Amino acid sequence: MLRRIFHLGRYQPSAGEEVQLELEHHLEQSTRDFERQGLSPDEARRAALAAFGDRSTIEAQLRGLRETTVRERLTREWWAEFRQDLRVAWRGLWRTPGFTLVALLTLALGIGANSAIFGVVRSVLLRPLPYPESGQLVQLWTDYRAQNGRTEPEWLTPPDFADWRERNRTFEAMAAYGGWGPDLTGAGDPVTLNGLAVSGDWFRMLGVEPALGRSLLPSDDDAGSERAVVLSDGLWRQRFGADPAILGRAIQLNGEPWTVVGVMPRSFRAPLAASQPEAYRTFRRPADSRCGRGCITLRAIGRLKPGVSLPQAQADLAALSRDIAERFPETNKGVAPWLVPLQQQLTGPTREPLLALSGAIGLVLLIACANLASLLLVRGESRARELAVRSALGAGRGRLVRQLLVESLLLASLGGALGLGLGMAATRALASIVPESVRAIQELRTDGTVLLFTAGITLAAALLFGVLPALRSAGGSPMVTIRGGSRGGRGAGRLLDLLVVGELALAVTLLTGAGLLLRSFVQMQRVDLGYRTDRGAMVQLALPRARYPDSTVTVAMDGLLATLRANPSIRTAEVSDVPPMIPGDQDVSALAVGEPVTPGTPGSVWYRSVTPGYRAFLGYRLVSGRDFTPADRAGAPSVGVVNEEAARRFWGNHDPVGRVLRLGSDSDAPAITIVGVVGTARHDGPNQHYKAELYLPIAQAASRGVTIFLDTPAGRAAAVTAFRAALKEFDPLLPAGEMTSLADQLRESTAPARLNAVLIGGFAAVALLLAMVGVYGVMAYAVAQREREIGVRLALGASPAGIRRLVLGRGGRLALAGTASGLVLALALAHTVRSLLFGVSVYDWQALVGGPLLLAGITLLASWIPARRAVRLDPLVAIRAE
Amino acid sequence: MAGSDLFTGSLDLLILKAVSWGPRHGYAIGQWLKQSTSEVIVVQEGALYPALHRLERQGLLEEEWGVSETGRKAKFYRLTPAGRRHLKSELARWSEFARVMTLSLSTERP
Repeated sequence: MLRRIFHLGRYQPSAGEEVQLELEHHLEQSTRDFERQGLSPDEARRAALAAFGDRSTIEAQLRGLRETTVRERLTREWWAEFRQDLRVAWRGLWRTPGFTLVALLTLALGIGANSAIFGVVRSVLLRPLPYPESGQLVQLWTDYRAQNGRTEPEWLTPPDFADWRERNRTFEAMAAYGGWGPDLTGAGDPVTLNGLAVSGDWFRMLGVEPALGRSLLPSDDDAGSERAVVLSDGLWRQRFGADPAILGRAIQLNGEPWTVVGVMPRSFRAPLAASQPEAYRTFRRPADSRCGRGCITLRAIGRLKPGVSLPQAQADLAALSRDIAERFPETNKGVAPWLVPLQQQLTGPTREPLLALSGAIGLVLLIACANLASLLLVRGESRARELAVRSALGAGRGRLVRQLLVESLLLASLGGALGLGLGMAATRALASIVPESVRAIQELRTDGTVLLFTAGITLAAALLFGVLPALRSAGGSPMVTIRGGSRGGRGAGRLLDLLVVGELALAVTLLTGAGLLLRSFVQMQRVDLGYRTDRGAMVQLALPRARYPDSTVTVAMDGLLATLRANPSIRTAEVSDVPPMIPGDQDVSALAVGEPVTPGTPGSVWYRSVTPGYRAFLGYRLVSGRDFTPADRAGAPSVGVVNEEAARRFWGNHDPVGRVLRLGSDSDAPAITIVGVVGTARHDGPNQHYKAELYLPIAQAASRGVTIFLDTPAGRAAAVTAFRAALKEFDPLLPAGEMTSLADQLRESTAPARLNAVLIGGFAAVALLLAMVGVYGVMAYAVAQREREIGVRLALGASPAGIRRLVLGRGGRLALAGTASGLVLALALAHTVRSLLFGVSVYDWQALVGGPLLLAGITLLASWIPARRAVRLDPLVAIRAE
Repeated sequence: MAGSDLFTGSLDLLILKAVSWGPRHGYAIGQWLKQSTSEVIVVQEGALYPALHRLERQGLLEEEWGVSETGRKAKFYRLTPAGRRHLKSELARWSEFARVMTLSLSTERP
């Protein structure tokens, strides 16, 4: 009697319609009964309505109830089906442990590596700096591009900084800081501290509070105030036993008493792209006015007023700078502000490599997904019969697709969970991608965002590798599949081919990129730096002003060098105040006397003071003129040696020997006679530009902070011992710095390039392996699919070589299509790694040919095994197999 | 007795009983209620439906759309297995309750 109208019908009435239908039926029945009792149709209807009661209220109530019921039932059914799908998926995965293991490993590696790299990206590039309202903090630079073509931002001159700070309208505060390297004595062995000199409002501008005592205040800036110092937590613990009573006590810095007024918390980090300071002092003097607006000596940070944007602040300071330029055209013409958000300033250099790594590892995950998709397709084909039976038993296509997607989701989730664990471990291992100075500020850790990201890519991966096979496997007509056995459609073959070609293309892209980075690294090793890095060792030394007044520095230094040279474990000791490959350049404005001043004439020169034997010891090439001699001492005519770059920029094609360079912008600035030209050197490392440089004899341009270069004829250890002994004898209060070498520094400066090449090379190797597995899988599947056809061919007399050609030919076509499209992709993406390349064009033919060739070879290798199996087929067995 | 005076749960119990012999639509359930209780229990006809829907939501009844004896589309209610179990236990409870009540109320002396 009953038919299931609504279960079979396509039309699904709404809750309201259902309720209305039900109540209307009641009223009709009721009306009919009243009619039977003799009422007229109208009367009967009225009676029925009266007997029913308040229809509209009841109807509204029912509609609400009905909607809840339907919603609850749908949710219940959905969960029940989901649980069932999960159970089926779990059993399915359990039944095919080989497939499951390969898939899980692939996913865990792919997702884990992405999670790890994202962990670094999140920590370094995305997480705000550890200061209140850190988005308002801006690094302040000066822009000299319009004045003298210097392309890098420059520090500030003290008078410019004072003007900016007093007259701006967009900053809440501006604070300056500069290097300070005091010797600490009287607290264990003497040691040179890594310190920072700051203006009095520096701590307040950052918005940080000390853990003990007070931080430095503007009142500490007065030259007459008590010498106040704030310690880092680390120094306080190491040297002062974490004693809170240190507050108010004096410690000896450079032989002078400094009162400890505060200790910073352990978590405090100074916003520097250098190692973290251990002690802080104020400048304690009016801004350095000795060289006025010509001396670029200050670094500065500003905090924007709430609501002020960077362009507004830039416009404000630009207007100010134009006004300053009008009043001081000699020094400030064309000088402009150059503002950089502090976050970008500190983490900027890590941005490009991190993004390149993220891109590369993203490609690896894509390849892994393509691989899994093809594995699932093959698996789907072998399960076609099972699915067809389920479909015939009434499971809708949507239900089957969902079942297969749940399987992918389960697989991805398991892989993602494994990957997350791997990723968290790897984030720490990846630490050295990021310079230590950046890590000191932004600790690498896995936070909620990283977890969310990992969950996101897990879901995305499940959809990526699951949707296509699910649609394809659930799509076939059940009858055809059941009747035709499992050796159905060729459509899967075409999809598989597409997936493999995509996989190969991505792998080629990665391989090409890895090739470019590898070549860059090799090029970097081959660069002629202009000096030798294989000679001896180097150690830094500073003579504190308190015990070595200016007049005594040269004599003291000469004495120490003589002692060192007399030692058989050292023999050679030469000095430069700015060593190669250690940041700390100093520059001074310079003017070539007698040369016309034209646009493009350099306004300054980088300079360093050296001993007479320095050039020869480190092997700089002497191009013309002479080297310094001991006769170039204080009192003798001031001389200098320029590099080829400075010679070219100041004097064009003329030989500069005998010409005069005036340093500084004051009228009584010293004039230097050029006596020689040396080869240009890459002092900042192999991947840096040439600079115009000037060398001065250290006897004429004394410097109290120097690097001593030593020979080590008896080995580094003997030299260290000898140096320590000599220093102790010379001045027991001087700390002995750590001994390094230029070779160490070179290794350090090329370490990021090496790591980039190694990581991306590793990713490329994984991609290659995945691609190989993918090709193998597809070819093996193709051979299995065509066993009967191959058997027939063999039976009909086809030669084994012909069969092999058939299989290998298909592999070859795949390789060709994959590498061709991969090359197009690689060329399109090449510019994204341009900034990471060195000495290699993005169109470097070795990388562009090498990667694809390697991949094509691997592809053919992966096709070889299936080809061999095809050739060895027994025709009889193959044909009978059905 | 008027509908609002019904003992708590007794309407639900009657409805479950009404469909215990097979699916019925709402009107038929109402008619059965009237006849089987000799019109002692008079429920405002409309009040029956919220009860039906509540029982459906509790999973004691399930719907089944069909065609009524007059050839119209109608919603039938049927006991679910849970509903049948519920009916059985409630019947037992009710009988016990009625027995004790009768016994107690018919006592003539303290």
